[in-house]
Amino acid sequence: MKRPPMLMRVKIQGENRGFGLWLPLLLLLPLALAVLIILSPLILLAVLILWPSGWGKRALLVLSTAFGVFCSLRGLRVDIQGRYQCVYISIV
Amino acid sequence: MTENQKKILEMLAEKKMSVDDAYRLLNVIDSKESARDSTLKPETAAKAKPKYLRVTVLPDPANESGQNVDRVNVRVPMSLIRAGIKLTSLIPPEAREKVNGALREKGIDFDVRNVKPEDIEGLIEALSDLEVDVLSSKGEKVKVFVE
Repeated sequence: MKRPPMLMRVKIQGENRGFGLWLPLLLLLPLALAVLIILSPLILLAVLILWPSGWGKRALLVLSTAFGVFCSLRGLRVDIQGRYQCVYISIV
Repeated sequence: MTENQKKILEMLAEKKMSVDDAYRLLNVIDSKESARDSTLKPETAAKAKPKYLRVTVLPDPANESGQNVDRVNVRVPMSLIRAGIKLTSLIPPEAREKVNGALREKGIDFDVRNVKPEDIEGLIEALSDLEVDVLSSKGEKVKVFVE
């Protein structure tokens, strides 16, 4: 599996205003993990209740697939320069 | 059969060399050819492993320095495409029927259940030869390619 991305840069420039953002994704991961640990009893309960209908297994697969998609974002770059707007997104 | 192998067999038939000598020479030729194939394979393997899908839209070169031009440069990692295809396995059965119905309405007779993770690598390998090059009437160049 690929390593998760470390940094996300977003820059949007309009005609009159713009904003830029540097997101340290590597620092957000421990935070997300802490939230997941805190909510884990609730998640486990929901999975157990939904297991007979098949949705419990699907919920667990969604979590693991979502993490896989997140790790795959590494290397994504979008650079669009229009007449009145510029959008730049880079995930490293 | 290569030319050299043919010559060796002809000489053996004409009794110009012994069976042992012919056997040794054929082995030498065989090992040289497999060494050449193995040096070629890493190149072809490297060529066949695409890493990014690129989409670029470049303005007309005559107008490139102007302010009112559109430029697009998008790079999508192939691993994201692989992960996205794997997501289709998570579509619930009820939603799958709706998706298939919507595809059929657009004239695409395809069942999303047929997308399997093992087909992904073949699909991505086939993408390595993809190249779309469009020149619009405004002089803009649109390129879709894999690198």
